[in-house]
Amino acid sequence: MKNMLIGGIGNVLLGDDGIGPYIARLLNAYYQFEEGVEIADLGTPAFDLIDQISGKDAVILIDSIKADVEPGSVLLYRKAEIVCTRPPVRVSPHSPALIETILSADMFGIGPRDLLLVGIVGKTYDSSCSLSALVTASIPQAIAEIFGELERLGVAYRAREHPAQAEIWWATFEKTAVPPVFRP
Amino acid sequence: MAKRITIDPITRIEGHLRIDIEVDNNSVSQAWASCTMWRGIENILRGRDPRDAWLFTQRFCGVCTTVHAMASVRAVEDALKLEIPLNAQYIRNLILIAHALHDHIVHFYQLSALDWVDILQIPKADPDRTAQLADSLSPWTRNSRNEFKAAQDKVKAVATSGQLGIFMNGYWGHPAMRLSPDVNLLAFTHYVQALEYQRKALQVVGMLGSKTPHIQNLTVGGVANAIDLDSPSALGMDRLEQIRVLLDEVVQFIHQVYFVDVCAIAAMYADWFKIGSGVRNYLAVPDLPLDSRGSAYDLPGGYILDGNISGAHTFRTASDKEFRESVNEDVTHAYYRGEKPLHPWVGETSPAFTGWDGEQKYSWVKAPRFQGRPMQVGPLAQVLIGYAQGHPLTRKYADLALNKVSAVAGVHATPEMLHSTLGRHAARAIRAAMLAELAQKHWQLLVDNIAKGDFTVYNQPEFPGHEVEGVGTHEAPRGTLSHWIVIKDEKIKNYQAVVPSTWNASPRDRAGAHGPYEASLLRTPLARPEEPLEVLRTVHSFDPCMACACHAFDPSGRQIAKVKVL
Repeated sequence: MKNMLIGGIGNVLLGDDGIGPYIARLLNAYYQFEEGVEIADLGTPAFDLIDQISGKDAVILIDSIKADVEPGSVLLYRKAEIVCTRPPVRVSPHSPALIETILSADMFGIGPRDLLLVGIVGKTYDSSCSLSALVTASIPQAIAEIFGELERLGVAYRAREHPAQAEIWWATFEKTAVPPVFRP
Repeated sequence: MAKRITIDPITRIEGHLRIDIEVDNNSVSQAWASCTMWRGIENILRGRDPRDAWLFTQRFCGVCTTVHAMASVRAVEDALKLEIPLNAQYIRNLILIAHALHDHIVHFYQLSALDWVDILQIPKADPDRTAQLADSLSPWTRNSRNEFKAAQDKVKAVATSGQLGIFMNGYWGHPAMRLSPDVNLLAFTHYVQALEYQRKALQVVGMLGSKTPHIQNLTVGGVANAIDLDSPSALGMDRLEQIRVLLDEVVQFIHQVYFVDVCAIAAMYADWFKIGSGVRNYLAVPDLPLDSRGSAYDLPGGYILDGNISGAHTFRTASDKEFRESVNEDVTHAYYRGEKPLHPWVGETSPAFTGWDGEQKYSWVKAPRFQGRPMQVGPLAQVLIGYAQGHPLTRKYADLALNKVSAVAGVHATPEMLHSTLGRHAARAIRAAMLAELAQKHWQLLVDNIAKGDFTVYNQPEFPGHEVEGVGTHEAPRGTLSHWIVIKDEKIKNYQAVVPSTWNASPRDRAGAHGPYEASLLRTPLARPEEPLEVLRTVHSFDPCMACACHAFDPSGRQIAKVKVL
């Protein structure tokens, strides 16, 4: 049994930043995972992320990212690639702090061995509870990347026979909104 | 000639704090605080069910989730004049206390201690001497030579690897760093231990709130915790006992480590009790209600004007009439449309970005004013107001802190010295020590009330036909938080959040009066202007809510150096 976290990061009130929590909730509603796998909507935890990733064998984080490529592109980053970037300066506990969190956890010997960041390039971060079309369209690919990682790690998952309703309570269109392009 | 330094963000998409200062003869001569991002999240709330608002406000910020949830339900309850069952008050109070203890521990150790502690001095420390020093300060059982040695080995490993990792951005060796290697090691060892204890505090939030980081147990009218003494899944004796054990451990860490460290380090930097004062108007609201109507509280509120501690004013309730009527927001120097200052119930959030201009508009933060004045909020306001009112618990820990500082520094420390950068750190430790004691008290109040056979946790809200307005306040870790709501036809007509960092990071107002961050930076001496550690010390002492990074500019605006900050 793996002790594993799949966590969606982002602010659900800031447009495409909500993609991480959105995908975490889709996974929870449509799939079953082997025991020991926790699926969580983490919001924007900043340094508090350390408590979520500590002591895990493996972690997959789903987050919106900024990059000079087409919005909706899905980019993958492994732990070593994340921490080789210089840590951004942190004056407030509210800054994203992903790099420091990983570095701290590793320094204290409690960091996860495997960590994959599934990054979805966002288009708009204006205050809104909905995702842009390009980002919505990227959901199947992002989920496929997550499953690829689970297979690599030897973690079992399958579609639920009786899927629950995804609890996307913040979505402005309607509460049960599931993107039409997404079918497990 | 004055040199301009801009401390500007490079982080992703959260709101950012930017600080601009002018430096003349190595002293700050002018300062501007600004926020570089508009959020306008309040606009999302219009038209929604007031009972759902807390779910959204909890997402304002990922670190202060619970405080915005709590202020939101309180705003609706205030508008509906709804009483809250005792169990719900105590459960909420415990969540708020546990969250605040977590927040204060993280703020001091993980966020700001390294402004004062020089990591690269640690390899020179002697763990035996450090253990002796620690024993002279505190009975903490984990002050052992072995713990100090282990922490030192970690730093040595990092230092010799050449990969400084999380310590890459520190001002190591800066002339303003003055602790001995042994004290640096002592503080760093507690930095490592703090990670464990902040987590225990968060576990309490999770056990009562059913989840972290977003609690699930709130509801307008009370809480959704099922109380059943015999059930392992509900809130019963098993879970209450687990909570008590966790709280006891956190309380011990606060009293024997955090409080002691802050007093000792403050005493060793005693000149910083003269720096960073700024706005001496202070504001705090009462919190931790002790009855269902909210007429008695464990923490006092009120206000102080012009540093006049002997003339402190008192708020009787958390939605005191004077407070309700005295708050306005000014947008003269903020990127919003609007002429005169507006009360939050009729507040507007209508963006009009014009670019940074220190003479005109320069921030996305509005300038909240109380009776037209800028106010400093946060632990320092909480402690000074309580102290001025003779609040026994505040006096107990404030006097204890001042005595400890006096003993180590060999000076006579007075409450007047708290108007300063170090005063804000000391006040936060004082507040944490008070909250730690209150954690145990409110746990007992809850258990005693349940033992009486009272399992009530919720009163059904009823919406009147006419328009109503309410304010929900919470004296959060960073200070006075208020959510202002107008409800019509069971829908939200208007919603405004006036948050602690808006008070403290506010720009100038129409009268040109500085906000607290700005005012606190004036006349700060800088040893090396291109490495403005002193500016960061003061800004950090407020526990700011926004991210920033540091660049140095020459007067023409050209970037001359990248300044590293932590």
